[in-house]
Amino acid sequence: MNLTQDLELFPGHRVTQMLFKEVKNAAELRQSAVEGKISGALINPTMLVDPLQVLVAANKAVHLQTIGKMKTRSLYSEIIFNLSPTNNISEAFKRFGISDGDESVMVVVVHKKDEVQLLSDVTARVDGRQVPAEDVSSLSDSAKIKKLYKVAPQEDKCGTLLDAVICRMATKDVM
Amino acid sequence: MAVPEFLQTAELLKQGAEARVYRAEFLGKPAIVKERFPKRYRHPTLDEKLTHRRTTQEVRSILRCRRAGICAPVVYFVDYTSHCIFLEEIIGSSTVRDHIASAQQSDSGTEQKLQQLAERVGQILARMHDEDVIHGDLTTSNMLLRHSQKDGEPELVLIDFGLSYISALPEDKGVDLYVLEKAFLSTHPNTEALFEKLLKSYAASSKKSSAVIKKLDEVRLRGRKRSMVG
Repeated sequence: MNLTQDLELFPGHRVTQMLFKEVKNAAELRQSAVEGKISGALINPTMLVDPLQVLVAANKAVHLQTIGKMKTRSLYSEIIFNLSPTNNISEAFKRFGISDGDESVMVVVVHKKDEVQLLSDVTARVDGRQVPAEDVSSLSDSAKIKKLYKVAPQEDKCGTLLDAVICRMATKDVM
Repeated sequence: MAVPEFLQTAELLKQGAEARVYRAEFLGKPAIVKERFPKRYRHPTLDEKLTHRRTTQEVRSILRCRRAGICAPVVYFVDYTSHCIFLEEIIGSSTVRDHIASAQQSDSGTEQKLQQLAERVGQILARMHDEDVIHGDLTTSNMLLRHSQKDGEPELVLIDFGLSYISALPEDKGVDLYVLEKAFLSTHPNTEALFEKLLKSYAASSKKSSAVIKKLDEVRLRGRKRSMVG
């Protein structure tokens, strides 16, 4: 169910993605995340095309944290911010963070190899049914994603929606 | 510093005057890393500035091309401290250079295929110039043919935007084509007619081609550099 990937650039660091459906306590989760009580990023899965999108955001967040150049206050808010195509932080939270009524949540945790306790701490808080993280693609709202990232129809010719999204995320600081 | 250590374990593919190119796995995907190393012969401040600008120009041009529907590698990650760009590896591809060379070897029935390829290159370059992207280093080695599983027609992918920039001037576009012409005719002997086909298709596809072709004729007479006399 969990999807874990090592960050090759930061040996020892890995990213685990956990997807939940039928979540009943989204408001409570969001509140704890705002207060910094959850060590994880809570993402609205309808804005995700593929788990790779989260990995790109997480890798960039860890990189910026290492060099002390994060734009937001914590690693997890930085992951959400990195998903957004714009440099507006509150807009990023609104689009990519979870809202009180949401029924599905993608939880992203950056951890060391031996920190499995962190993962179970987060899963214990979610009142919902965990499904494989790869299933995120079935929840994504492509029309909304295309509109937000401003993906033009002719871009279909040179790759997938995922390609277009990742390119924009990776290069947004110099656009 | 994480990236330099990471590159020590990566496979070095090529080293040029400007950068080193590595192959490595990144976020579980096959990737190409382009590292612009410091040039000791330059003043450190100038070096940093030039390197930074070229790195940003490169990713900007790639995105601009992709937005216009021109295939270029996906950018996964950019590290502006070590000046590294992490790109998608174009799997199952060969260079246009190798393609033309091998087609010239096997003499039967390839003429028409090559002409079609030249026409496609012309169309894509026209589209790129219409977006005001100047590649800066057009050669047949910087064009890849990706053989996708789906259909027979391979896709043309442009790579190495290291010297690219944004300009609307016919002069810059003319020089871009001139650089290609020089590279094309010297790597592929007896291809004057083929290159002529490429230019014809460029002229037919671009809205602003007449000014560019006129400039190309001018550049041919004087060379790539503008004369500063008088």
